[in-house]
Amino acid sequence: MILTTTESVPGREIRETIGLVRGSTVRAAHAGTDVQAWLKNLVGGEIEEYTKLLAEAREQALDRLEAEAHARGADAVVGLHFSSCEIASGAAEFLAYGTAVKLVPRKS
Amino acid sequence: MNEREPSADELLAMAYADGELLGTERAHFEQRLAAEPALAREVAQLKRLEVLARHAAPPEPMDHEWERLARSGGQRGLWSAGWLFFGAGVLGLAAWGLDCLECSQASWVPKLLIPLAILGAALLVGAAVRARVRTLRYDPYRDVKR
Repeated sequence: MILTTTESVPGREIRETIGLVRGSTVRAAHAGTDVQAWLKNLVGGEIEEYTKLLAEAREQALDRLEAEAHARGADAVVGLHFSSCEIASGAAEFLAYGTAVKLVPRKS
Repeated sequence: MNEREPSADELLAMAYADGELLGTERAHFEQRLAAEPALAREVAQLKRLEVLARHAAPPEPMDHEWERLARSGGQRGLWSAGWLFFGAGVLGLAAWGLDCLECSQASWVPKLLIPLAILGAALLVGAAVRARVRTLRYDPYRDVKR
């Protein structure tokens, strides 16, 4: 499965547009992590706990998007975007969305 | 080399995790996943490896220092002592609060309801922890770092 932020895939043509696919998740860190993150917030620098939380959410949202695209028979998802917002303090919501398409090799 | 051949179920789990099972084969495998926790764990483990394989970037310079800190006895001691004192303080305060309540002139209503609320909160936290522990092994994203 090709996932790309561009609107087309080099060397391929879009044969069919299947439609919007998306994957989202909301993940939280446990209270102990929040306390450690709060302490790091006092002294500055990267808050690794929240970097990890955001990365977990991103990967899960991406996997859900890919699973939906696969289930709908897509070869690729083009125009992939990420969006995030905060639903609850210490929780990360991640939404990945794009357009599922079927591809054929480009005729030269 | 003494690598064993993957079993039929392991091959099916690999195909499922890679999105290669289709139609009735996929539906049948998903029915088995619902009924066989060991098979679901196998798929989660394969998914976890796939997620980790996406992050093939080399470590950053600061990572080595974080690792040294994590191994350092002084740093671990500080964190452990901090959590220990904090936990003991919170539990002690709760016990002291309950004791004060018990000895106070308050009516039986708060004497009954406040411990009941604390017990309820503890049970809710216990239920949330139990659910997380039970599902942790099926979460392939728990080792993602950044």
